[in-house]
Amino acid sequence: MFLYLTILLPLIAALAVVLRPARAAKPIALAGTLIPLAVVGYLFAVFNWDQSAAFQFSTADDVWLYSAAPGIGALGFHLSVGVDSVALLLIGMTALLGPICVLGSYSAITERVKSYYAWLLVLQAAMTGVFAARDLLLFYICFEFTLIPMWVLISVYGSTNRRKAGLRFFLYTFTGSMIALAGLVYVVWYFYSTTGRWTLDIGVLEAAARMMSPAEQGWVLLALLCGFGVKVPLFPVHTWLPLAHTEAPAAGSVILAAVLLKLGTYGIYRFVLPFVPVAVHEYSGAIAVLCIIGILYAGLICWVQTDIKKLIAYSSVAHLGFCVLGLVAINGAGLSGSVLYMLNHGLSTGALFLLIGMMYERYHTRSMKELGGLAARMPVWATFMVFFVMASVGLPGLNGFISEFLCILGAFQAGGAAWWGGVAGATALPGGTWGALGPWYGFAAATGVIVAAMYLLYMLGRICWGPLAEPHGHGGAGPVSDRPEGGAAGHLPTDLSAREIGILLPLAVLCLGIGVYPAPLLRALEDPVARTVRIVREANGAGGSGGGSALRADTTAPREDLMSARRADLPGGRP
Amino acid sequence: MIGVAPALNGVIGALAQEGPAHAATAAGPAWAALIPALPLLGVVLCTLCAVFRVKNRLPAVLTVACLAGAFGLTVWMFLTTGHGTAVTTSLDWIRFHAAPGHEFVSSWGFFIDPLTCLWMLFVTGLATLIAIYAGEYMAGDAGAGYSRFFAAFNLFVFSMACLVMADSLVLLFLGWEGVGLCSYLLIGYFYKRPAAVAAAKKAFIMNRIGDVGLMMGITSTWVVFGTVEYAPIFDMISRGVDGAGNALPEWAGWVIPSLFTIGAFGKSAQLFLYVWLPDAMEGPTPVSALIHAATMVTAGVYLIARMYPMYVLDGTHWVLTLIAWSGAITALWSATIGMAQFDIKRIMAYSTVSQLGYMFAGLGVLTTTGAAFHVFTHAFFKATLFLCCGAVMHGFAGQLDLRRVSGLWSMRGWAVVTIAMLVGCLNLAGFPFTAGFFSKDMIIAECYVTPGMAPVGWVLLLTAGLTAYYTFRVFFRVFVGPAEFEPGDEAHAHGPAGDDHGHAAGAGTPSSVDSTDHSHGFHPHAPGLAINFVLGLLAVLSLAAAATYFVGGEHGWVGEMVHHSTAGVSGAALPGGGAVHADLETGAPGFLGYNPHAVMYYVSAAVGLIGILIAAFLHGPRGVGGLLIGSRRHAATSRADALLPVLGPVARGAQHKWYVDEVYDFLIIRPIWVIAHLFHLFDKLIVDGLVGLAGWLPRGMGGAIRPTQSGHLHGYAVGMAGGVAVLLLVVLLVAW
Repeated sequence: MFLYLTILLPLIAALAVVLRPARAAKPIALAGTLIPLAVVGYLFAVFNWDQSAAFQFSTADDVWLYSAAPGIGALGFHLSVGVDSVALLLIGMTALLGPICVLGSYSAITERVKSYYAWLLVLQAAMTGVFAARDLLLFYICFEFTLIPMWVLISVYGSTNRRKAGLRFFLYTFTGSMIALAGLVYVVWYFYSTTGRWTLDIGVLEAAARMMSPAEQGWVLLALLCGFGVKVPLFPVHTWLPLAHTEAPAAGSVILAAVLLKLGTYGIYRFVLPFVPVAVHEYSGAIAVLCIIGILYAGLICWVQTDIKKLIAYSSVAHLGFCVLGLVAINGAGLSGSVLYMLNHGLSTGALFLLIGMMYERYHTRSMKELGGLAARMPVWATFMVFFVMASVGLPGLNGFISEFLCILGAFQAGGAAWWGGVAGATALPGGTWGALGPWYGFAAATGVIVAAMYLLYMLGRICWGPLAEPHGHGGAGPVSDRPEGGAAGHLPTDLSAREIGILLPLAVLCLGIGVYPAPLLRALEDPVARTVRIVREANGAGGSGGGSALRADTTAPREDLMSARRADLPGGRP
Repeated sequence: MIGVAPALNGVIGALAQEGPAHAATAAGPAWAALIPALPLLGVVLCTLCAVFRVKNRLPAVLTVACLAGAFGLTVWMFLTTGHGTAVTTSLDWIRFHAAPGHEFVSSWGFFIDPLTCLWMLFVTGLATLIAIYAGEYMAGDAGAGYSRFFAAFNLFVFSMACLVMADSLVLLFLGWEGVGLCSYLLIGYFYKRPAAVAAAKKAFIMNRIGDVGLMMGITSTWVVFGTVEYAPIFDMISRGVDGAGNALPEWAGWVIPSLFTIGAFGKSAQLFLYVWLPDAMEGPTPVSALIHAATMVTAGVYLIARMYPMYVLDGTHWVLTLIAWSGAITALWSATIGMAQFDIKRIMAYSTVSQLGYMFAGLGVLTTTGAAFHVFTHAFFKATLFLCCGAVMHGFAGQLDLRRVSGLWSMRGWAVVTIAMLVGCLNLAGFPFTAGFFSKDMIIAECYVTPGMAPVGWVLLLTAGLTAYYTFRVFFRVFVGPAEFEPGDEAHAHGPAGDDHGHAAGAGTPSSVDSTDHSHGFHPHAPGLAINFVLGLLAVLSLAAAATYFVGGEHGWVGEMVHHSTAGVSGAALPGGGAVHADLETGAPGFLGYNPHAVMYYVSAAVGLIGILIAAFLHGPRGVGGLLIGSRRHAATSRADALLPVLGPVARGAQHKWYVDEVYDFLIIRPIWVIAHLFHLFDKLIVDGLVGLAGWLPRGMGGAIRPTQSGHLHGYAVGMAGGVAVLLLVVLLVAW
């Protein structure tokens, strides 16, 4: 019930924003995000963290809801929701960013206010729905429905090139999602064809899907990756992102980076890994290579940008590369790191986009050629900038390090590649675990840490440090009223206002908190992660135990036998 | 001096309870966590000062109080721990199930053994003294960057404490990167100066290259041992097993140490990764003294010393041989650059790189004691030297060129600085019976003991001579001779950019020196009480450090400490129970047929004195100050000028730092830059272009039926939104 509220309340608020006059839009929107945040806070409090792998707050077993829907029920549609700790944490991040985005738009959006906040709230509901859904149709509706509000936010409230950016964003992700839909539909059909029943329940489908032959799994993997990979975005299908980020309004960029990209990684976590475990294990090396290319390639591109927003946008491609790398490492370290990465990237990159938005409101430029030495003009802003850059660059003690380190460790310790010169399989070593990657993957990804320092410090050096440079006629040596541009920026003080500091502080506190004491979060992620790892391992015939010292008896030989046996069954062979 | 030794020995022996080497790990005192916590409190307090815009010197007072507290606790920790090993446990930091039944644990816990105590004693002690000095030195920034400076200063001490006291490699990595951050923030303290910004960035990125090596070392350690905590790792190494109880894989003995070595090279500015350290001199001088001379840059030495059991796993010791050679090459290379520089702070920076080379050479030739002892003595005398340079810079409006300042000795108010400088220079030059003399000797002598390492010894001996020369070149040019000076840039360039000390011009005590033709009414600003106090105390301490050589065991107090830690070469932690070094000593080649340990005192003393005499001849002033062989009459000229045409390209090359920065720029940075641009172009034209093309094809083909379509995405979107909304509504209605 309360989980539904987190989806419904923003929708109701959106309706209220539309119906009420424009001046009421901001308070309603704020209430429409703060109340769900409070509800999520309640959910955090009552969630049974000892059973963090179980889907809680589920309504799937409410008889009245089931029996009352005979028509669609035959198809298996149940509007069911439920969260494990992974989903709940992501909902928490989404709910937290809601009020922050609303508050962050107060001074930036001055025209068409009503529709702006209404779409923002709809987007909030849709994103929450994606994480909460336990029904495939509900998931997909919410997943697709995030497109429209985001498209409106970009192409109506964006900057100069907004139409093109909006179109590119929409078409690109929509095409991807359609292919992913085909993959999901195949899974549903597969279930029908083997059992004679229809269901859309994710849990049921998950158990059935991994019975698919490796060839089928390969095709489904490809289809799902088309949808989720575009969303992440993975290396060759990332070009919509820089454009969309650059043109979107600040709050739009925040949501895009913090939550929308996570729909892709969450999709991989929730669907790809447990649905097609055999295929994902077989192709994880290839996916990891794409991730590593993304990390280094996008990182280097960041380094030669002059547009700050584009720089941060490309950095998302690089960062999400680590995230997916952790996912395809398929072990405890990699998966916990990856899920944590989803949260951490949301916090730190979201904050960076907010900061750039605040700077943009004052100077109306994103070009690093026109800006410099802003630390002298806006020391508070610069302090936050340095802080979040350091979180983003992966400085230990802040949140980014934990997840980055775990993703690298996960890739490194997996035992698929015999880098150890044939001396010993890595799985035979105490810290080595079962998985498809190997030390070279970890090492290649780790070099991305150097590149990250290169481009982020280059950005800091350009805009924060150095001699002061401001665009002509902007900024303010003189009193506020003397500023030529007037308008929105006229209300803003030279440095950050209390409102702006207020929305950055919670993010900063969380970044520091997660960096210093991530143990409870990791503890909460332990069970669902272990469950996913176990599913993939068992499907690949690697036995039930999870590796480590208990794993030493395992060898890869039985798995290979099983794989070849399965392949032999198939007329089509490998996809 | 030797007569004092038994007495001191007795005191220290009484204080430190004697225990067997590598006594079983005990539970450490929980209050040890206060040692890093107090500087952290300092960070918070200084941040509050910044928030409330405190305009006085309160941040300095708070910092000194916190750091002095940390130092006091460190002394207490040293006294109570003795020669034992203790591990404190506390809050988890990173903990997760790597696999069922197998947890990855890294906690906020601390590993306290004599090596930890040794490092923490000089880190917190020097930090306290330098904070006192900085309180005066940075006073011009009070109300502006003052709080920021001290916040970062405290954060540095916190990070360094984490690095040194960590009980796991991951917590060490936190400190490792933390000191890198503080170094970045403090080098870039004068953030309006482009050179400072570039130097800060360079330092951080160069360090990161090393950090990746260290990180890979940590992950490899985890894979082999199944833990990242010191105590179990050292236990397994001593038993020669991996985490599963099997024999250690052979590759672990060289892969892991090599990876750690990359990290150590980055942090300690060795071999290819040294170029950031001289540039780091853009930071305020107290920072250079503390971070870039005394403490942070020795973290690499600490890492290798801490992980020494891993380094001696491999019987061939080729990683150690590599370390010894790279240390020696770095020492010689940077000494040659230091000889030709004119900026006294840069000379000291190159000398730091060079001395770090000695320490690495020491680690490579199996004398962790020598390395640690040199770290210890170097910390004091190099901090002294830097702070003296800082006093000069402070007094002469940023002037650092040794051709433009001369004869401080005879100016009023500079006596303490001159004496402290002389003490520092004597130490650095390895003048007999100074601390630097003993510690350097120990390393060089050991090169002749370890088979195959004699060439390293010769390189280091040559370097010792060069070191004595360039050290006393500074002393003879700046501190003795005719009293002349020109103020630095900051006397007249008080623009909004690069404002170092706002009070430099006109605020000083009037000087008796007639210098109107140079300085346009500028008066040098002799150091005040705090600076003189710190310099005097440090000078005494750098001399007193020599006394530690005569107390304790065979290799002095530091040797005793190292011997009882994981770095003890003959410790039980080594496989074979300490036979490693003994094996190597049998049939050692010796020094030209003599016992190296006995004869090296005379050889290195002679080499040092020759260096000093050459410096006196080339740069010394006329008269007693130049030891009667010098001839310099002006600040800007010396006999060395006559050598320049003779040396030609050699001198020019050394002056331009052998063009290493240019080579890096041309061979590494430019190509990466070009590749990055190519990637960007590729991304725009090819990757995105294909997408655009894919989007274009259907549109082109669909041209015929276009009239029937609205062609506007808006229409589709609203249609789809409406459709989905209706669907949702129906579902809801049906469901309820």
